[in-house]
Amino acid sequence: MKVVEINDVYKTYHDTEVEVRAVSGVTLGFEKGDFAVIVGPSGSGKTTLLNLIGGLDQPTAGEILVAGHRLSELKPSELIDFRMEHVGFVFQSYNLIPVLTAAENVGFIMSLQKWPKEKRIARTGELLDAVGLSDRHNSRPSQLSGGQQQRVAVARALAPRPEFILADEPTANLDSKSAETLLDIMEKLNREEEMTFIFSTHDVRVMKRARRVITLEDGKVVSDVRTNHTS
Amino acid sequence: MITSIAWKNVWRNRTRSLTVIAAVTVGVFASVFALAAINSSIVQRIDSAVSEELSHIQVNTKEFRSSSDIHGIIPEPEKVAGILRNTPGVTDVTGRIIVRGIASTPAGSAGVEINGIDTAREKEMFTLYRKLIPGTGSYFGADTRLNSAFIGEKLARELYIIRYILSPESFTALVEKGVPAAVAEKLKPLEGVRFTTEKKLTEAYSGLLSAKEIKKYGLLVRETAWSYREGSRIILSFLDMNGNQTGAAFRICGIYRTNNDFFEAMSVFVPDAELRKLTGMEDGVYHRFIAKLEEDDLTDRVTPVLKEALPGLEVMNWKEIQVDLAMIADYINQIYAIFMVLILAALSFGIVNTMLMAVLERTRELGMLSAVGMNRRRIFMMIMLESVFLSVVGGFAGMAVSGIVIGITGHTGINLVKYSEGLEAFGYSAHLYPTIGADFFIILTVLIVLTGILSAIYPARKALQLNPVEALRGE
Ligand SMILES: Nc1ncnc2c1ncn2[C@@H]1O[C@H](COP(=O)(O)OP(=O)(O)OP(=O)(O)O)[C@@H](O)[C@H]1O
Ligand SMILES: [Mg+2]
Repeated sequence: MKVVEINDVYKTYHDTEVEVRAVSGVTLGFEKGDFAVIVGPSGSGKTTLLNLIGGLDQPTAGEILVAGHRLSELKPSELIDFRMEHVGFVFQSYNLIPVLTAAENVGFIMSLQKWPKEKRIARTGELLDAVGLSDRHNSRPSQLSGGQQQRVAVARALAPRPEFILADEPTANLDSKSAETLLDIMEKLNREEEMTFIFSTHDVRVMKRARRVITLEDGKVVSDVRTNHTS
Repeated sequence: MITSIAWKNVWRNRTRSLTVIAAVTVGVFASVFALAAINSSIVQRIDSAVSEELSHIQVNTKEFRSSSDIHGIIPEPEKVAGILRNTPGVTDVTGRIIVRGIASTPAGSAGVEINGIDTAREKEMFTLYRKLIPGTGSYFGADTRLNSAFIGEKLARELYIIRYILSPESFTALVEKGVPAAVAEKLKPLEGVRFTTEKKLTEAYSGLLSAKEIKKYGLLVRETAWSYREGSRIILSFLDMNGNQTGAAFRICGIYRTNNDFFEAMSVFVPDAELRKLTGMEDGVYHRFIAKLEEDDLTDRVTPVLKEALPGLEVMNWKEIQVDLAMIADYINQIYAIFMVLILAALSFGIVNTMLMAVLERTRELGMLSAVGMNRRRIFMMIMLESVFLSVVGGFAGMAVSGIVIGITGHTGINLVKYSEGLEAFGYSAHLYPTIGADFFIILTVLIVLTGILSAIYPARKALQLNPVEALRGE
């Protein structure tokens, strides 16, 4: 089953005098259960592509379908709700609300979605367990390490049971041990819950763990390789 | 959730938030206290107008107030008095006869309104007797004779019944009250000189003392020099029922001091039996009935009832008689609210600035919130709540401090005697007892919340203009 379909998508920036084609004619599909990574040199359009998939940005041309929704047909306000319901985001940094505890951050989207309190608390506990932070419920982001913060962000992203999780260079700020732990957790979630992950990265550690590696250059897909990791 | 995040956000930059909150607190406190102080004199003025001068409702013939014609007596007085007494809300009724006349002493004369009153009854209905200056008489006490008059200090001065003299005894008294002998010595040239007004005395001693000494001892000198000859008499002359000039000597049975110079200068009170004898007015006729109500709040309700019951007569409540005071009484909260709006508008600039800083330094976080699904309405709410918290915490602290300070100073009072001369001429007291209505605090709460909401609009719009993609990318 296709979770994401990208059909001949372009994204052009005209901000400066020169026209920048950040994404240029990309056609891609992601299946449920994918554990895919997008690689490529700096400026090759990885972030731009992820933003398009996540409905943070609109393509200049082409079509993107996510879980049957044609993103170009959604109004800006509908896009926000769409993101909340269908997409989990993990950014490189600034993922968490600094004034809330780990548990509150994880529960944040569920509370925006008005989950009943008991259900929310139960799911928060489950998710913090899954990311190995069952003892850090009441820690503020500032009291957590970078790796722990990213794990909270993963838990937060998973909370509303999205179609897939987009992670833009999630390990960029982490030491190798934290990066490995984070990847272990995501792999496990992928394996056990069939959660779809789409990363961008420069990080070879991430590349090695991926089961599909998509390479971008100048906004074009230059290779799309399925490796046979038995993770 | 949004509320709790907003509240916590307020305390992220504690110093900055506390600075704005402190500014709001001080601004609200200072302005509320200033208003309460101003309000003090207004409330006192209204209180004394009702309790000393006017009571609640007055009834007379339609022409009487303008013509003051001695023949303008109320027809069927028993019936009118009966209607007044039986109207619900009315607790007390008295009748007066009133003639225009001239009060004079060998030294001066002044036009006055002579009120023939039922002295015992009026003591029940008015608090004017409490304004008696100690040592000037007994307000129609047991020892007073029929031809006694109760007059105001202002009139007493105009008639030179009160004057200012530093007698040899005054000097002893001054030294006893703590004036240094050297200062008293400097005043010696004034010994025995009669000053007809306080102002003239002040001018005289100002030439002899240093500015510092005047400030310290001036009041004491004026008080000590104040003198009144017990049992002074004045001549009251007026026209009788037949249009003949008549009059008699009256012995002063007391001098009252209010905050209303005009009233003090005009109003002379004498026992009505004496005035009837002199004018030839019969017993039981009156120029005016005055009704006192259970409480002031009933005024607006009882007045129309009486107007209907007494169609041929002029029925006026104190608000209609003293239109200026009534205006103030009715619109005071609105006037204060306008003042507060201006103050809060000034304070809102501080809130706007703080909120702008908060939005700008949280660009990435706001981008992230919007990316993960916090919609515009919620972001707006969050910013607005932060701003409202700033104004409300500061505003409530300001109101609490004002409440406490007004509570204390409302009891102890603030002495403004030094600056009082101008104030008293308008009937305002020189002692302030700051006070403000509880309903004003309700209005103020609404205004403070509004300030928070309005201050949030610009920063919140800034936050909403952020594009999440750029916000997240931004450095
Ligand atoms: N808002 C923008 N305005 C103009 N140009 C932009 C904008 N956003 C991105 N670009 C350009 O688009 C191209 C692709 O950028 P993008 O951030 O997607 O690359 P990336 O592969 O994520 O790079 P990195 O590995 O450095 O994160 C770059 O040339 C970048 O300069
Ligand atoms: Mg990037």
